[in-house]
Amino acid sequence: MISLDVLKKIDSDGLDFIKTQKDISDAEIFISSLSHLLSRVNYTSSIPCNGVEEPKSTLSYGVGVQAVFKEGNKKRIGFGSQIGDISIDGIKSAVEKAKLSAVEDPDFYGLPVPSGAPILETGYYDQRLMDISDDKLVEFGWKALEGALKTFKEHNMMESIIVGGDVSIVQERMAIASTTGIAAWDEAANASASMTAMIESDNAKGSGWDIGMRLSDFAPENAGKSAAMSAIHSRQGRRVPSGKYRLILGPQAVADLLCHVVLPSLTLSVVDASSSTFLKKYGERVADKRLTIFDHGAMPDFPMSRRYTCEGLATGRTDLIKEGVLTGFLSNDYYRNKVLKDPSSKDKIGAEPAAIEPAFTPRNGFRPGESMIRNFMARPSIAPTNVIVEGSEITPLDDLVKMIGEGIYIGRIWYTYPINGLIAGDFTCTVIGDSYIIEGGRMAAPLKPNSVRIADNIHNLLNQVIGMTGDRKPTLLWGASEVIYSPEIAVRDISLHSIG
Amino acid sequence: MAEILEGIKYRIAESLTTYTRTLLNCHYADIRIEINDTRWASAEDGKPKSAGKDEGGSFGIRVIAGITKKAPGYYGRIFGLKDIDKIEELIKEGLNHAHARALANSKNKERLSSALEGFGKTLWDTQLASVEIHRDTVPAIYKIAPGTIAPQEILRLSEEASKRIKGLSGIQFNDITVYTQSIGELFVSTEGALIDQYFAYTQGNVYVVASGKEGQQELYEYVGDQRGWEAVSEGINVQGMNLLDFSMRVAKDALALADAKPFRSAEKEAVVVTDPYFNTLLSHEVIGHPTEADRILKYETAYAGRSWLFRNFNENFIGKQVASPLITTYSDPALPGYGHYKYDHEGTKGKRVMHIDKGILKDFMNSRQTAALLGTEPNGSYKATDASLVPLIRMSTTVFAQGNTDPRKIIGDVSDGYYLWGMHTPSISESRENFTISAIKTYRIHRGELKELYRGGGVSADSMSFFMSVDAVGNDFKIYPIANCGKGQPMQTKRLGNGGPTLRGRARVVGTG
Repeated sequence: MISLDVLKKIDSDGLDFIKTQKDISDAEIFISSLSHLLSRVNYTSSIPCNGVEEPKSTLSYGVGVQAVFKEGNKKRIGFGSQIGDISIDGIKSAVEKAKLSAVEDPDFYGLPVPSGAPILETGYYDQRLMDISDDKLVEFGWKALEGALKTFKEHNMMESIIVGGDVSIVQERMAIASTTGIAAWDEAANASASMTAMIESDNAKGSGWDIGMRLSDFAPENAGKSAAMSAIHSRQGRRVPSGKYRLILGPQAVADLLCHVVLPSLTLSVVDASSSTFLKKYGERVADKRLTIFDHGAMPDFPMSRRYTCEGLATGRTDLIKEGVLTGFLSNDYYRNKVLKDPSSKDKIGAEPAAIEPAFTPRNGFRPGESMIRNFMARPSIAPTNVIVEGSEITPLDDLVKMIGEGIYIGRIWYTYPINGLIAGDFTCTVIGDSYIIEGGRMAAPLKPNSVRIADNIHNLLNQVIGMTGDRKPTLLWGASEVIYSPEIAVRDISLHSIG
Repeated sequence: MAEILEGIKYRIAESLTTYTRTLLNCHYADIRIEINDTRWASAEDGKPKSAGKDEGGSFGIRVIAGITKKAPGYYGRIFGLKDIDKIEELIKEGLNHAHARALANSKNKERLSSALEGFGKTLWDTQLASVEIHRDTVPAIYKIAPGTIAPQEILRLSEEASKRIKGLSGIQFNDITVYTQSIGELFVSTEGALIDQYFAYTQGNVYVVASGKEGQQELYEYVGDQRGWEAVSEGINVQGMNLLDFSMRVAKDALALADAKPFRSAEKEAVVVTDPYFNTLLSHEVIGHPTEADRILKYETAYAGRSWLFRNFNENFIGKQVASPLITTYSDPALPGYGHYKYDHEGTKGKRVMHIDKGILKDFMNSRQTAALLGTEPNGSYKATDASLVPLIRMSTTVFAQGNTDPRKIIGDVSDGYYLWGMHTPSISESRENFTISAIKTYRIHRGELKELYRGGGVSADSMSFFMSVDAVGNDFKIYPIANCGKGQPMQTKRLGNGGPTLRGRARVVGTG
């Protein structure tokens, strides 16, 4: 990892160089150094295996330059990047690429300008997570595995065991400077463990997570233990027939639906493309009035919290759905400006953009790429950070199960797709584990994994809420950068199809 | 690109051999190096949005080390072309990390083997099945080299396509993205392999939102091939259309679907005829994925899932009937398209892998490690999206084999049923034992003719039941590109090929409601 001082110095020197370029009216220089360490676990009690299959890492650093070129009355915007060279030569190379590829984009209205001080103080992450040795990386993976295996052993379960998952440590540093006054830097690190355990002969599958903002708090073995305990509780699952059901959606199920169906539709670029399921709905009730969803990129001790976005703007809270009403969108600076100037935006959003400008404050301009959000090779797009789901009325889980009476607790889903496109709101997904049949107001039996598919519409689901618990649990979804904190949410009349 | 790899390959091979001799208890190491040059552009609603050109490199290292229980360790890095001068230094640094991780991994494996009595018995001494060692150079396939195309030329094509779509009544939004790319790969191992391979890829993505009598319809499709610029400029691809014609076809389909009624789920099974484009996704999700040996051996339990074809060495479908005798499926990297290559990312020569032969389950795609575990020969299916990432077992081109029936007869013989055209979205059970796959277009078939067009229809079935029900296989075999197959942790998004001919079977047809 390149030190922050070096990144800041190069950014500053680079800006001095940019200012000498007569054909450039404005420019921003984004420099980042990224490392992703990962220990991937694969254990099987009946097939030879490595236990920890892949202790590995990926390292990269480089610069991305966005520059505005003057050509008479015309302005062209271009982007270029240079991998592995953060010297002035690297910046020059990126500028040349930006110039070569600049386009006259009529929707570009200028580079971001400073938006105020960040909420988070410096040093908000644990510096020790920035310095993980090879031995420690490997040890984390084995700890996660041992957590699961010891739990199985304590329950005398030694056959047909599968344990998989990973321990992941993300390390990042970035600096950004622009001719429009942006001068920001940031560094962050976090650790997470995501584990799955199975008793395959019983078709029982369980999941467990652990997220560590402090090295001292991080216990990957807990993820292994949780996964194993959940698998133990899921043995000998039963099937249910197709029909409409009352469901309690666990945190992972809520997170999967949010990630693949709801959050894309709450992204300003998707609204601008007329493909959101919430088109023309700003200010309207789109969900049960007890439901609130917001994105908050500056909550202390939350894994996706940062001081600045990749546009150099302060992170913070964006209310997306507040007490059931659509109140905001995830945005970056480009789309905020585009929507404000585009006369067709009012029709897409459902309100005059200028009158609701705070609803799309650009707090989510990140540069996602392979599990990281500070990719110097990309221009800023829009990405969620920490997404929080909460209810205004809290019901303990036991009471919620009693309220449901007859229904199903859905703990883990996958292959969630907006099957007819985001606009329609229709979705399907398959229930693959951690799920239980509720009978007589109690969790009566595990649901057989891969035996039902949910097929319904997200608007039905958001508006047919029965109640919510109060305990928000984090979920890290495979392939997603955001972390979603959600309680259990009970809903009625959702279609399940028996499969298999 | 070739000059760069040509200039370093013997040095890298020499350096690897010499340096690994100094590493304690190091039994094997390999290095993958990749250099790429990508040019792209995009336009939206007829307006230019972006253009660009980038080049760079990456490398990945695997070391197997240890005393009684050998174990692997890995290291990956992305680098700039300027770093080529110091590549050996960077690789030594990477070898040190990969070696340290392998040794630590081995020690922990030994410790846990005895500490957790019973569970330790399957922690094995890592082995790689032996393969023939190759030293070879494989050129890319193209007519117009990607490196000769300026970003502004790509932008012109993108803008033109986007403007034409915008001119159609009912189109609300469109986005066109085009790229053309050259890749050079080098593989060297301590066993003496030295292989450099070159590839060209070109692709155009079309996203359209249309409005019609039945509401709004979005459609996303892409056209491309493992070729140069000619893939989009001259239509040298499976669709047989250049980007301008292809994007208009997508836009017109979106408009037709916006006027079509949504398909309402049928309660009972019906006769379904699925076209080669739909069967591309079917072969991908329900044939290709469950025949990857890492899923067979449970490596993917936490992520991409297992396989219903193999519970364990005693309970599995190998040698048993899993499909109609009319069904034969295989993976073959020799086939053209996105899945074409000569050697995989551990230097194994790619071979045709027969998955289902006339209805009988035969074999799986594998790597050297999984081949050693399964007691079979490596077949060259170990691939990474980028050299900095650890390879996974991946489809090359996985297909249903061609049959001998005219697809017009396959439809013509149906009294009442449905014809599903084009791949849309999948929803699959964890071990792929059942699936719902939706089509772009669904037509009712009545008395052998295509009738009403619906949107949102799809096939829902148990995998084995559906394959057993197939009673006709077309002679219209096609291979389509899959641009974004996700697998691994971190997620690797890979290009590959899938396809087959028209199929007819029985399944439930599902839609909304």
